[in-house]
Amino acid sequence: MLDIIINVAILAISLIIVIKSADIFVDNLVAIGAAFGISEIILGVTASAIGTSLPEFGSAMIATFTHSPDIGVGVVIGSNIWNIAGILGITATYVGLVRSNPRGIARDGAVTLITALILVAFMFMGSINKFAGIIMIAVYGVYLWILVKDQKKESRKNNTKIIEELNNKEENSKESAESSKNVKSSKSSKISKKTIIWTLVGLTGLIVGCRLLVYSGVELATIAGVPTMIMGLFTLAIGTSIPELVVTLSSAMKGLHDLSIGNILGSNTFNIMIGIGVPALFMDIPVEPLSLSFDAPVMILVTLMVLLLIKRGMKLTRTDGIILLATYIGYAILRLFVLN
Amino acid sequence: MVYQKILVTSAGEYLDQMAKEVMELIADWNTEVIGLYVVETSTPILTSRKIKEMMKKELTEKGKKILLDMEEKFKGPNIKFKPLLKEGKPADEIVKIAEEEGVDLLIMGTGKSMVDKYLLGSVSEKVVHTSPCTVLLIRTSKE
Repeated sequence: MLDIIINVAILAISLIIVIKSADIFVDNLVAIGAAFGISEIILGVTASAIGTSLPEFGSAMIATFTHSPDIGVGVVIGSNIWNIAGILGITATYVGLVRSNPRGIARDGAVTLITALILVAFMFMGSINKFAGIIMIAVYGVYLWILVKDQKKESRKNNTKIIEELNNKEENSKESAESSKNVKSSKSSKISKKTIIWTLVGLTGLIVGCRLLVYSGVELATIAGVPTMIMGLFTLAIGTSIPELVVTLSSAMKGLHDLSIGNILGSNTFNIMIGIGVPALFMDIPVEPLSLSFDAPVMILVTLMVLLLIKRGMKLTRTDGIILLATYIGYAILRLFVLN
Repeated sequence: MVYQKILVTSAGEYLDQMAKEVMELIADWNTEVIGLYVVETSTPILTSRKIKEMMKKELTEKGKKILLDMEEKFKGPNIKFKPLLKEGKPADEIVKIAEEEGVDLLIMGTGKSMVDKYLLGSVSEKVVHTSPCTVLLIRTSKE
């Protein structure tokens, strides 16, 4: 009993360490990128794309290096199912309405679905090897390039249309100036020692936190007598997706619907292409038969399902949210009590 | 009674419906309309700094669009429009601005379902109880 309490405590503490460290790491990495003269748009897109997904990536990497790659695959696939059916389900049920735009869904939705299909195609080969890893990382690079291109176009449009109009208004001059500043390329400046130290602190926290997370996950699985894959699919997947839940729910409540759905779709693409692609460069990732025959198809099914639900009216309603949540509960029951 | 200074606040949804009803009422009045949009800055614990910044930026731009839209909608021969963009908790900021600007009528939309009201809370409900002036709630409905 004491073993369980200690490991649950380690799991909870390590989750907080991982989430906060990822935040510190990304923040300071962006500052270093800005000092090297990388455009703020590229930094912004990359930071938002990887920011909430670093815990999943870190756990998958650490799991691979500690010879528990199945827990890593579990975290990635489990997170992707939870992100869509669980988080979007909770958000739509709670907020009542999550809108989307056709362009965002066409781009991010298609990419999310394609990446899931790519993963399954590689899973059919028996294990995900270095070659698969290179392809996955390359596909993610192309996606990131499309995101940056779209963001540049959007910024130019906003710059000319809205910001300049309001620059003339006295009451809004301060905010407008800030917005204008944000869309311009950042100017190079020196990297402070503090930034480097905080980047290292963030990275160390991320590595230590993920190591503790994977350790406690494996320990709990051993104590409970369940496969480590199950810990990855549920406990670690849901835990490492806390940042996604926070961002998706709060942005939907504020009416920032694009950020809400975009964050989930972007995160799922990153989880697969980088969360499995990068570890595959270092070690062949074995594929558990049940993952291929059940988890991966469920991941594709819920991705298709959410895209079809959104397509009907470019929105997710409370009913859609309940359908998604029910699907997740059904999947969890089947996976934990019937197939396990 | 003709109100001299009116505060109209909106989060963007149902603005068309609200503006139509308000203009039917005030079109002939000699009045100043203050359009207010509040950028809600509170975020849950564990929200990353970058995401907080992104949300604030997005909401500020959304607010500017809404204020421009309001300016177009509240046009009249004797209507003077003043846009205001503030940051903070919507209900608190609305009441604060109403006090600071000395408005004599506060107009906002209402129309959340019982479930939404229970889960998300209601800004109009909070404002009604603390407003320093008369409040007009426009009944809005979901499309």
